[in-house]
Amino acid sequence: MVPNLYRPIHLDKTAGALQVELKQVLGIDIEVCLECGKCSGGCSNGHIFDYTPRKIVQLVKLGFEDTLMKMDALWICLSCQLCLDRCPAGIDIPRILDYLREKARRKGITVTRPNVLLFQELMLDSIRKRGKVAEFPLMLKFNFKSGQYLKDAGLGMKMFAKGKLSLLSPGVQNKEDVRRLFTSEPAQDKGKT
Amino acid sequence: MTVAYYPGCSLHSLALEYDRSSRLVCQRLGIRLQEVEDWNCCGASAAHSLDQELTMGLASRNLAIVNRMGLEKLTTPCAGCFSRLKTTSLELRKKKSSPEEMGKGDAYTERIPEVTHLLQYLYEWVGPGKIAEAVIKPLKGLKLAAYYGCLITRPRAVTGFDDPEQPVSMDQLLRALGAETVNWSHKAECCGGAFAASETSIVIDLGGQVLEAARQGEAEAIVVACPMCQTNLDSRQQAIEQGNGILYDLPVIYFTQLMGLAFGYSISDMALRRLLVSPLPLLMRKKLA
Repeated sequence: MVPNLYRPIHLDKTAGALQVELKQVLGIDIEVCLECGKCSGGCSNGHIFDYTPRKIVQLVKLGFEDTLMKMDALWICLSCQLCLDRCPAGIDIPRILDYLREKARRKGITVTRPNVLLFQELMLDSIRKRGKVAEFPLMLKFNFKSGQYLKDAGLGMKMFAKGKLSLLSPGVQNKEDVRRLFTSEPAQDKGKT
Repeated sequence: MTVAYYPGCSLHSLALEYDRSSRLVCQRLGIRLQEVEDWNCCGASAAHSLDQELTMGLASRNLAIVNRMGLEKLTTPCAGCFSRLKTTSLELRKKKSSPEEMGKGDAYTERIPEVTHLLQYLYEWVGPGKIAEAVIKPLKGLKLAAYYGCLITRPRAVTGFDDPEQPVSMDQLLRALGAETVNWSHKAECCGGAFAASETSIVIDLGGQVLEAARQGEAEAIVVACPMCQTNLDSRQQAIEQGNGILYDLPVIYFTQLMGLAFGYSISDMALRRLLVSPLPLLMRKKLA
C-alpha cells in the first residue's frame, strides 16, 4: 500500500514505534524536523528515489516501517551526506537509512536491487578472508555471480593493460585479528575458503 | 613531521599512481609518511552499508594500530577511508570508548588519533605558501576544475574542513602550483560513488553531470582527491560520451600527480600514463611534458 504522506498527523494516534526506536538506538530525534525539504532538494539521487529524504522522515513519523524497509531508495542511497550536511536540524538521514537497511536485511526482506546487495556481500567476504578488498577478483566474482559474464569486458581489458587491475594484492597478515570483528555468517561463498 | 599514512585498498591496485605520487610529494615537502602497519579495510562502502558494528570495528583496528605506533595524526588520500576513519574517531569520543576496545584488541588507551584527508593535511599543515616555494616547473596555462566530491568536506560536523558547498582548498593548492582553476557548478556534487559495478547507470548519470559541468566551466582537466571519483569519471567517460554524443576528452588527474609534476618529477615518476583519458596531449600542448 502506498501511504498517504500528505494527511495531517494525529500525534497521539500514530504508533511512533520506529521514531522512538531511532531515538533510543541511534540518538536521532526526528521530532526536530522543520519540514523545509532541503534534504530532498539537494539529494544526489533524489530524482530516481521512490521516496525522497523528506518523505522518508515523514514515513518514519507515520510509522510506515514496512514501506521504508521495502523502498528502493534504501539500496541506491549514495551516502553522499548532502541531506545531513544541509539539514538545519542536523538529522542524520544517511544513518537512518543504514539502520533500516541492516534491519531489512536481517528480516530477509526482498531487496529491490539484488546486484547492489550481491556486490556488497562479495566485498564483505573479501574483507573477511583477506582483511582488505581485492578489487579485480571482486569485479570478476560479481560478474560471474550476477550472470553478467561480459559486463565491462572491454573496459576491464583497457584497465588491465594500464596495470589498474592486479590479480594479486596483498592481504592482512594477522587475518584472525580482522576475522573476529565479524559477528555474522558469510552471506556469499558459503563453504568455500 | 611524521604522520601515520593509511593508503586504503584502492591505492594498491586501481589507484597505484595516487599512492606513488602522494609518497613522493610528501617526501619532497619533508613529511615522513609512516604506513599503518598491517592495516585492514577501513570499513567504507559494503561494511558501512550492511553492518554498523563491523564498520566501527574495522576502522577502530586501524586507529588502534596508529596508537601502537605512537603517532597522533593519521592521514589518508582516499575520501571514503577518510570519512569512515574520521566518523569512527568521533563516535569513539562520543561513546567514551577507545579504538582498542572497539577493535577488539587487548590494551586500552584513552587516545584517539586525529584523522585528516591528505588534501586537508597538506592544506592545513603545510599550506599553499610553502607548497608554492617547492614549485620548480609552474603549471602555467593549465585550466583546471578542482573536484572535491562528497566526503572530503561532508558532513561538515564530521570533516571540519573547508566549505562543503563552495570548497576552495584544492583550488588554492593548484593555484600555488601556477595553474588556473575555473569557477564551476559541480565541485561538491556526487560522482556516483560505489555503484560503478553494481548500478552502473547511476555513475553514468551523475558522473555525466560532473563532466558536462566541467566542460561548461571550460576546464581542460578535472583534478580529484579520491580514487573512486577518479575511477568513475575516467573509466566511464567513454560510455558517457557515447550517451551524450559529446566528446569530453577530460583527463581526470590526482592533485598529488600535478603537485609532483610542478615539483619537477617526470611523467613516469607521477605515473601519469596510467590514467585512461591520457593527460599527455594536454600537458604537451602546455609544454609541461
